[in-house]
Amino acid sequence: MGVLKDFFNLLKGMTITGKHLGRRAVTIQYPEQKMQMFERSRGVVVLLSDKETGDLNCTMCMLCMRACPTAAIYIDAPRDENKKRVLKEFKVDHALCCYCGLCEEACNFSAIKLANKYEFSTWDIDDLVWDVNKLQDVGRDVPYVDTRKKKPAAKAAAKPAEKKADDKKSAADGAKPSAEENKQSEGDKPSEPKATDTAAADKTAPAKDEKAVDSSPDETPESDETRRSADDDTKKGDA
Amino acid sequence: MSALRTEEFTVNMGPHHPSTHGVCRLILTMDGEKVVKVEPVIGYLHRALEKICENRTYVQCIPILDRFEYVTAMSCNYVFALAVEKLAEIEVPERAEYIRVIMLELNRIASHLLFYGVTAMDIGALTPFLYGLRERELIIDLFEMTCGQRLTYNYIRIGGVARDLPPEFVPKCREAVKIITDKLVDYEGLLNENPIWKVRNQGIGYLSPEDAIAYGVSGPVLRASGVEYDIRKNDPYSIYDRFDFNIPTHQNGDCYDRYLQRLAEIKESLKIITQALDGLPEGEIQPKKKINAITYKPPAGEVYARVENSRGELGVYLISDGSTKPVRVKTRGGSYNQLQALPIMVNDCLIADLVAIFASLDVIMPEVDR
Repeated sequence: MGVLKDFFNLLKGMTITGKHLGRRAVTIQYPEQKMQMFERSRGVVVLLSDKETGDLNCTMCMLCMRACPTAAIYIDAPRDENKKRVLKEFKVDHALCCYCGLCEEACNFSAIKLANKYEFSTWDIDDLVWDVNKLQDVGRDVPYVDTRKKKPAAKAAAKPAEKKADDKKSAADGAKPSAEENKQSEGDKPSEPKATDTAAADKTAPAKDEKAVDSSPDETPESDETRRSADDDTKKGDA
Repeated sequence: MSALRTEEFTVNMGPHHPSTHGVCRLILTMDGEKVVKVEPVIGYLHRALEKICENRTYVQCIPILDRFEYVTAMSCNYVFALAVEKLAEIEVPERAEYIRVIMLELNRIASHLLFYGVTAMDIGALTPFLYGLRERELIIDLFEMTCGQRLTYNYIRIGGVARDLPPEFVPKCREAVKIITDKLVDYEGLLNENPIWKVRNQGIGYLSPEDAIAYGVSGPVLRASGVEYDIRKNDPYSIYDRFDFNIPTHQNGDCYDRYLQRLAEIKESLKIITQALDGLPEGEIQPKKKINAITYKPPAGEVYARVENSRGELGVYLISDGSTKPVRVKTRGGSYNQLQALPIMVNDCLIADLVAIFASLDVIMPEVDR
């Protein structure tokens, strides 16, 4: 009796396996077919470029370098004689990177991202250290949501300032509404990452310095936010 | 004619052995074919994770602790975040708590499914391995969709979670729960009454409840010995006290019961996930004052936080001096104690049985060696 029961139980297991007879394979034939990665997949580190101008979004604030737990990011951006940061080197060592995505979270300017690309093996480990050109090239076709705050407003503020540098009043008129807009847009988004606390501290200080050196005559009392973004714009132009 | 002179001899099993789930060396003292004594040698996977954490900021510790126990990295993320939250008395938003519970329970199921497959393969059944990993893939896909990685999630943050759920998560999660519920019937049909499986597992590797408690064994191994102890019920953390679930226990304390125990726990986890998905509120996922990854400083003090992991009690003892970096991060993993209890479970068994015992403990070596 026991033997029969055991046999029956074995047969039950075989039936479960047998259900798979005649099912089609689900395997993906890798080099020919490629898997569709999720949009959030964290793969290779890339630098993102502005969608319109094609310049790097990076403002060299070094937050990503400081947030990286494995020191995979190296940025060298000394200040030039005008105390503006000039990007000399931006290296990401993909062999050190642990793909945690903390750099992406720390970045306030949509400049760095872990894209969902995964094919970057090399024969030599040194080739995994990517410089700024390679990081930017790989990142060119990476879709991203530009979360940079008050970017259009900053441009609006910057343009009239440049055009009508002579006319103080009109520049001030151009700048003021944009500053208000900024505040409004900030008020609309209370969930905006508060991580900017340090970013703001980091950024506003150099921004003030630079403004002091530039000492453009049409300097109007703007909010720190506007200053910062205007400052970013000029930096981007430099980069 | 005098009897043949016999003597014991030593066999090294591992460090590289397919059934040791990592690199664990077992020094076996053999009497003929019987294992008389077993002595685990650990440390081959030591990565000094606790020391590494000491020169990282609090948020940077989270991806480091992902590697602590990578099969259930969500729990490792969570227990560290819980420790800091306890220390700094951070209030976690409701939605974040629900997301955390869903993630923790999904991770527990994924871990048990891996156990189901790997244990069966250790004992010689290949099919369950493919089945277990197929359903685990559903869960891993959910994780990848939400946080971007398949193993080292780095998802749970101090005070909340890193990103909100994508819109397609909830329907896909419900679908996965349904599929796993259906497939559990197949799993049980494949192995539960299988005569070979029963012979290989029943009565092998008995662990008495007294010994289990004495050795600090926790989790499913403890409950399979008949001790009803689960931190989710006995010392509730997060919002586990809001959910209706049971703590299954089994009485025999052998390999077969440890296997049944884990299958039963999958069902309870599915119950919790369904309830959490139903009750998932809208709202914030991070506290109002968001924790900065670089400059965050909790108050000085010491705290111990523990959670129920798929391998027992997972704990973090954290000492802070009020600076941006922790002074000491002591981790406690269930695998360590379970490996410790391995020598007392070997009662003159065969090497093949030892493999079954080792597999049923579900030890994962990175958690032992850290």
